[in-house]
Amino acid sequence: MRLATRLAGIELSDWRGQRVRLGSFWEDRPIVLVFIRHFG
Amino acid sequence: MRDRVDEIRKAGAELVIVGNGAQHFAAAFREDYALDGPLLVDPELRAYRAAGLRRGRVEALSPRLPWNALRALRSGSRQGAVQGDAWQLGGVFVIRPGGALTYRYVSREAGDHPPVDDIVAALAEDAAPISEEPASGTVTSLLGRALSRLVDPTIVLSFDRHGFQIHALTFRPDDLEVDLSERRCLVTGANSGIGYESALALADLGAEVVLLCRSPERGEAAAARIREQTGNARVSVEPVDMSELASVRAAAERLAARPVDVLVHNAGVLPDARTLTSDGLELTFATHVVGPFLLTKLLRGALEQSDDARVVWVSSGGMYTRMLEVDDPNWEDRDYDGVAAYAETKRAQVVLARLWAEALEGTKVVVNAMHPGWADTPSVRSSLPRFYRVTRHILRTPAEGADTVVWLAACPRAREWSGRFFFDRAPRSPYLLPLTRESREAREALWALCEEASVRA
Repeated sequence: MRLATRLAGIELSDWRGQRVRLGSFWEDRPIVLVFIRHFG
Repeated sequence: MRDRVDEIRKAGAELVIVGNGAQHFAAAFREDYALDGPLLVDPELRAYRAAGLRRGRVEALSPRLPWNALRALRSGSRQGAVQGDAWQLGGVFVIRPGGALTYRYVSREAGDHPPVDDIVAALAEDAAPISEEPASGTVTSLLGRALSRLVDPTIVLSFDRHGFQIHALTFRPDDLEVDLSERRCLVTGANSGIGYESALALADLGAEVVLLCRSPERGEAAAARIREQTGNARVSVEPVDMSELASVRAAAERLAARPVDVLVHNAGVLPDARTLTSDGLELTFATHVVGPFLLTKLLRGALEQSDDARVVWVSSGGMYTRMLEVDDPNWEDRDYDGVAAYAETKRAQVVLARLWAEALEGTKVVVNAMHPGWADTPSVRSSLPRFYRVTRHILRTPAEGADTVVWLAACPRAREWSGRFFFDRAPRSPYLLPLTRESREAREALWALCEEASVRA
């Protein structure tokens, strides 16, 4: 399965705690998706 | 490194950062370093895993490093006052609208970094999509084969998620680099579990997909999710109850109007008590055996119109425990046992795949059966609660369970086989236990039973 499809349905929280669906980010523009190794 | 974020924005793109810690760290960091783009937290590593970034790789480093990395990215300095490296990252992906992947970078060790110019180039409108699967080397494949030989004789370590991970080392990375946009695929029981994941993956490869579901509402909800996730609008629902032969006939009549390239027999039930359908058939026998037999028969013409048709029977590893039963398929003379009825009808599906392959020999239709291993699906949770309690930590995901369905339906070289039984993209023996091998007479009796039941109804 395409990476974008696997990721699209996943919902994560943003820094404010708001839930956002990953797929919404590339609906109308390309994105650079960066996974960092650790987060605090 | 200076102005890289601005450069990305100038290219009309957005930088989306995912970290694996708690939300308050992210909020503080965003403020400290004046980051103004999307910053997401993924403490359960769901997105990391979906992106193929392994846990060990993600957690290998000290907690401070990524913050320093981001800080460096923002300030433009890589070394010196700032500790760490701006691109000391788990992975970087460029995804274009519509979902095409034009860039992938997975860091192998602390300190390596992707060339930023490559990332910016991948943002261009005409950037070519790259291969979805990272290439796996011969060494990986050899290791996978060696490990497979070790675990395959054990059921638990092979059918569970570890087995999938080991077998996956032997998968050829370009097997599913296919464009299915010319193909029409039908999947029964597609609103959840393995059926859903199969339909999702086929739609993702561009196919027209029809979800054959008992409940039109649940089917529509699944179709809407698949359309949204894949961006493929050609996903529709055909209401059908596979256990009711009149319903199968009505659906087949509507579906046979156009060629069918793929037919996946996935719909399944595991009832507690003996239940008879309106045709007088026991429910699992009707749903797993007679209904799909009839659907195949009625769609035979539509399948033969395709120049590369595949029929896939989704059986179960549970079928290994039973021999083909043709004397009492409706449980008239025995005390009902739902799990045994399930396993017997799953055995019958493997036999039917072989019989249909023989019946369709010389045509362009291939027929195979498979078993998904032990996967965490709604059916397993509700029908086998005790099994689920014991195994829930080692179950495969539904997508892993569906992998071989998709491979049989879509991979060009999968059509080399017909009449066989598959597990994790390889043909396997359908017999593991003594006294489970059926006779030719029994196989012929099964065919006759199906013919008779579907004609009578």
